[in-house]
Amino acid sequence: MTPLEFEAEHESAWTELEGLLRVTERERGAERFLALYRASCEHLALAQARDFPEHVVARLSQLTASAHQIIYRQSDFGLQRIGRALLQTFPAMVRAHRAYVAAAAALFMLPALAMGLATYLQPDLILSLVDPATASQYEHMYNPKAEAIGRVRDAASDWAMFGFYIGNNIGIAFQCYVTGVLLGLGSLFFLASNGVIIGAVAGYVTAKGYGGTFFPFVATHSAFELTAIVLSGAAGMRIGRAVLLPGRLPRFASLQAAARDTSCIVFGSAAMLLIAAVLEAFWSSAAWVAPAAKYSCATTCWALVILFFLRRPHAA
Amino acid sequence: MSDAVDTIVTAETPEGIAIAIRPAGFAVRCIAFLIDGLIRLGIWIGIASALGAAGRFGVGLLLLCAFVLSWLYPVIFELLQNAATPGKRIMGLQVLMANGLPITPSGSLLRNLLRVVDSLPAFYGFAVVTMLLRPDGRRLGDLAGGTLVAFRTQALPRGGFAIAEPIAPPIPLTPRQRVAITAFAWRAGQLTPERAEEIASLAAGAAPSALGGSVSSRLVGIARWLQGQRRGMATARN
Repeated sequence: MTPLEFEAEHESAWTELEGLLRVTERERGAERFLALYRASCEHLALAQARDFPEHVVARLSQLTASAHQIIYRQSDFGLQRIGRALLQTFPAMVRAHRAYVAAAAALFMLPALAMGLATYLQPDLILSLVDPATASQYEHMYNPKAEAIGRVRDAASDWAMFGFYIGNNIGIAFQCYVTGVLLGLGSLFFLASNGVIIGAVAGYVTAKGYGGTFFPFVATHSAFELTAIVLSGAAGMRIGRAVLLPGRLPRFASLQAAARDTSCIVFGSAAMLLIAAVLEAFWSSAAWVAPAAKYSCATTCWALVILFFLRRPHAA
Repeated sequence: MSDAVDTIVTAETPEGIAIAIRPAGFAVRCIAFLIDGLIRLGIWIGIASALGAAGRFGVGLLLLCAFVLSWLYPVIFELLQNAATPGKRIMGLQVLMANGLPITPSGSLLRNLLRVVDSLPAFYGFAVVTMLLRPDGRRLGDLAGGTLVAFRTQALPRGGFAIAEPIAPPIPLTPRQRVAITAFAWRAGQLTPERAEEIASLAAGAAPSALGGSVSSRLVGIARWLQGQRRGMATARN
């Protein structure tokens, strides 16, 4: 078959497929489209093998590539898929990375405890981290006389704080994760520095005698918030390790594999931070709730979070 | 032939055929990024002026929008039908997986979260360096997410065969010679006659002067013959 005959014979099929590429998914009709796609694959292979002219090969190549994009598009973003990723893959991946999680937790909690103790004994130490104006803000935020706890100004509404917590906290979690690419140093830095600041604030306001408002405030949402930060830091450390010690894989392939394994942990952490933001904005800050109620709610939340990661949903 | 200088990425499909993908280079991606920046700014100004009037509730919504706009804007657009942010779409680009498949949600999220690292130490420094170093122009985020930014369509070679009597090749031609002669004949109409003659003279051995006419017209004749045209057939086609 000569190129001319080849073109003449199949021109109508190619034009039809080109037309189908332009219409919407619904008008397309799967059966005819698939048949035309298979035909164009065959024609492309033929044209390449027989050294047909460049303009024929290029046209077929583009036609096939565009149809290929449509046929292999993942159309299943349904709730079921997201649910499975969050409820099964996420805890399973966290368990699979338990050494990293333990290291990240230690890296976060040890500086927090040390700094907390230090500022409790020596409240002036907080000035080594923040300026006096910020320190007095902390003091004001957890003053028992305030209408709502944890706010710089009483004027800020629950909704405004909700928006702030989402942006700020999920941003921190993402940062803890992605900076792991820098040989893991970014994750280590952000985990430790967040630990130091949180510890310092806790120690400082306790020393000022506001522990009675501070701890009920943080107890509930910290179950989700601190866990999520530690988990994204752990995922970041895994990324860092993949870059630093790629093992038998090329470095980029190792990075890609680590990213694939840990992406679920980051999405899960973002979901946890979403829960944390709701709690922090609407429940933790409510001054009218008795501390005892907050503590019992907090205990439940911590138990739920720990159970979520320990339980093994029917073996997958 | 062009493997050594081209940056084309070849992806194999399950059907067993190879699809050529043309990765987008640094300049075009830069422009797309700037367009996206302007669009984001526009959206931000629009939302801010609309919600500024809505009071405290508005402030919360505004902060939420800021979060979505800064982290999720590219992800949302890349997962829609076009697989490209508006800026990329305007520049004719789309995001693919490196194996030629359509982009997956986790691929898109990873490549966009990694912008934080790509933008270090300043002005997307890491991204610029990795993109310029690699022939496929992938930045760190693309490498981690396994994605690739490519042109949506490849430019088809424009042209057509000039009218000429088909001439049977006087000497046997190898497949590569046939392809080269056909490609030349397809393009010859776009060149000045002098330039066409100059290029054609490289293949003069395949078209001896005994056949008559200029070298380039002889080559067009051979190309027409190679296409399957014979003396006496209607030459209206092409």
